[in-house]
Amino acid sequence: MKAAPDPVAFPRTDAKVLADDGDALRFCSTCAFSQACLDQGMDKSALMDLHVLVEHVGPLHAGEHVFREGDHFDAIAAVRAGTVKTYVVDRDGHEHVLGFHLPGEVIGLDAIDGEHYPCNAVALDTVMLCRFSFPKIAVLATQVPGLQRQLFRLLSRDIGRAALLAGDWSADQRLAAFLIGLSRRLAARGFSPNRFQLTMPRTDIANYLRLAPETVSRVLRRFQQDGLVRVERRELEIADRPGLEHLAAPILRT
Amino acid sequence: MDNAQTASDTDLLRRYDVPGPRYTSYPTAPHFHGGFGEREFREAAAASNGDPIPRRLSLYVHVPFCESPCFYCGCNRIITRDKARGEAYLARLYREIDLVSQCFDRDRELIQLHFGGGTPNFLSPAQLREVVETVRGHFRFGDARELDLSIELDPRHVTPQDIAVLADIGFNRASLGVQDFDIEVQKAVNREQSVEETRAVIEACRAHGFRSVNVDLIYGLPKQTLAGFGTTLDIVADMRPDRVAVYGYAHMPNLFRAQNQIVAADLPDPEGKLALLQLAIRKLTDAGYVYIGMDHFALPDDDLATSQARGGLHRNFMGYTTHADSDLIGVGVSAISHVGDTFSQNPRDLASWQAALDEGRLPVFRGMRLSEDDQLRADLIQALMCHGAIPIDALERRYDIVFADYFADALRKLAPLEKDGLVRVERHRILATSRGRLLLRNIAMCFDRYLAEPNPVVTPRFSRAI
Repeated sequence: MKAAPDPVAFPRTDAKVLADDGDALRFCSTCAFSQACLDQGMDKSALMDLHVLVEHVGPLHAGEHVFREGDHFDAIAAVRAGTVKTYVVDRDGHEHVLGFHLPGEVIGLDAIDGEHYPCNAVALDTVMLCRFSFPKIAVLATQVPGLQRQLFRLLSRDIGRAALLAGDWSADQRLAAFLIGLSRRLAARGFSPNRFQLTMPRTDIANYLRLAPETVSRVLRRFQQDGLVRVERRELEIADRPGLEHLAAPILRT
Repeated sequence: MDNAQTASDTDLLRRYDVPGPRYTSYPTAPHFHGGFGEREFREAAAASNGDPIPRRLSLYVHVPFCESPCFYCGCNRIITRDKARGEAYLARLYREIDLVSQCFDRDRELIQLHFGGGTPNFLSPAQLREVVETVRGHFRFGDARELDLSIELDPRHVTPQDIAVLADIGFNRASLGVQDFDIEVQKAVNREQSVEETRAVIEACRAHGFRSVNVDLIYGLPKQTLAGFGTTLDIVADMRPDRVAVYGYAHMPNLFRAQNQIVAADLPDPEGKLALLQLAIRKLTDAGYVYIGMDHFALPDDDLATSQARGGLHRNFMGYTTHADSDLIGVGVSAISHVGDTFSQNPRDLASWQAALDEGRLPVFRGMRLSEDDQLRADLIQALMCHGAIPIDALERRYDIVFADYFADALRKLAPLEKDGLVRVERHRILATSRGRLLLRNIAMCFDRYLAEPNPVVTPRFSRAI
């Protein structure tokens, strides 16, 4: 017998969540915009307008692209399930991972400035998305203050996250910050904060953190020996949260 | 054990003597399918490289040749005295090692290298050295103290001098086929092997610093008697190998051609077979061996016994091992790999295996990807086989299930076993009793989803439980 239901470990999704397509009054529980609309008393007609803009996309399978660099920009997309990786390829053909986007997070924000997507977005596992036509959402945002604020909030969060890695941090600090960051983002979406799957291969983690893949493994192995985490294949469990937070603190600053 | 206890055990064991898998894997090999091939193997290897801490590697090398046929054998082997066939085989084997090694990231350590067969010492010590060096050139070997380099040996074809060379190559574990020292039995199975040559090999292994020596015995062979097998057990216990495996002979001549040479009338009846097993358990435990589970015994200070006590024992195609948190790569004809959540197997006939390699392909001919349900049941059966217990809490946590609901069917099947005193169902675990430990496969079978689905093609392939 199990007591109160534990939050599910990402990327396991409650079947209810995926079935939850929302209706005229209620958004999907994973929607990045639900807060903007519901918390801020958006009226029903505005809500209906926003619903019209939403197009459900997916499932995309691992390796399928949501968009590619240079594609015409016409929509931003919110992840409903799975993980999306954004990346660019430099002139020498080397890939640079820009970020990993989890359920409830929005991709395509960095395209708002131009006509074209400035990066690639690829599904790392089975991904479901909501597409919002950008021209339409931009118009609606001028009429709905809550929506505009939410868009700005998403934008600033995106910029803030990218800045985390710019500093001169050690491999231990980077990895700790990465794990705590993931944990907080997942917890914010109702997933278990201490048990989740690393849906991205270690080469992507290494690339994102500007470390060698062997270094990622070596540091994690040490974290494991020190009792900070337990790792079994892709499953990760944070065993000593204060310890890991302490390591991550200089980067996360909270 | 008093007489009443022995009698009721006999009755129990007889009732549970039904065909069933040995669970060196779950799902078992008959469930592998042709939809899984080279491409799927490469994907599995790439995915395994992507783990945050990629597993370390184990390599199994299959050497299919034997100089003469032992009639009981159900292994994949080729009978020949033509040593040139070994050379031709090695040429392909090196190609396979080269191809398969490229699928795995170089920072993944190799911690186990095992030679099985057939008869690995069909190859000369010089050839074995060449194989080990080739592997060393393609994989990063782990720390010498951690690396298990093991080989199955036919004591009839290896000398103490050979053992010295093997030790120099780096071999540190050996497994010796004995089966039975009774000359009548040896004649009936076409394998005559003296106590003296066997003892000499064991002593040479010990003198050259091998960490562990295993002896394989078989009960249920033709012409086998309690007196004869008892003498064999006394001799073996006196030789003091670190591990002893006592396998039950499975007479399935329709599957294994060599077994047609065995006269069915010479085989012990089920009662006789049981008595032989009970004799083995009694003699070995009296001699200080710990019963590990299934068919395996070990001295208390052997790694198998100490890992079991620590909770670190695993089981794979090579039997029990202390290294199962590794991805297993099998090379050679018929070899099985276990990479990530997949199983895969090479062709069982030499011609197809060669043809694939000659075309530069990895010779995978069948396999499967485990579903989450498969993985859960594999975990459960693994725990049962290795530690004699099913950890309910850990499985619930790991797989987000409510055990009693998820396994309602299995628990119903388990109820009569509980009544017979084979298991104790507790709140947090299901424990195999000392009786139940003799019948682990029967307990595991309650949790085998593939047995619940009637499949007439598959079921007769399994040997009986005892």
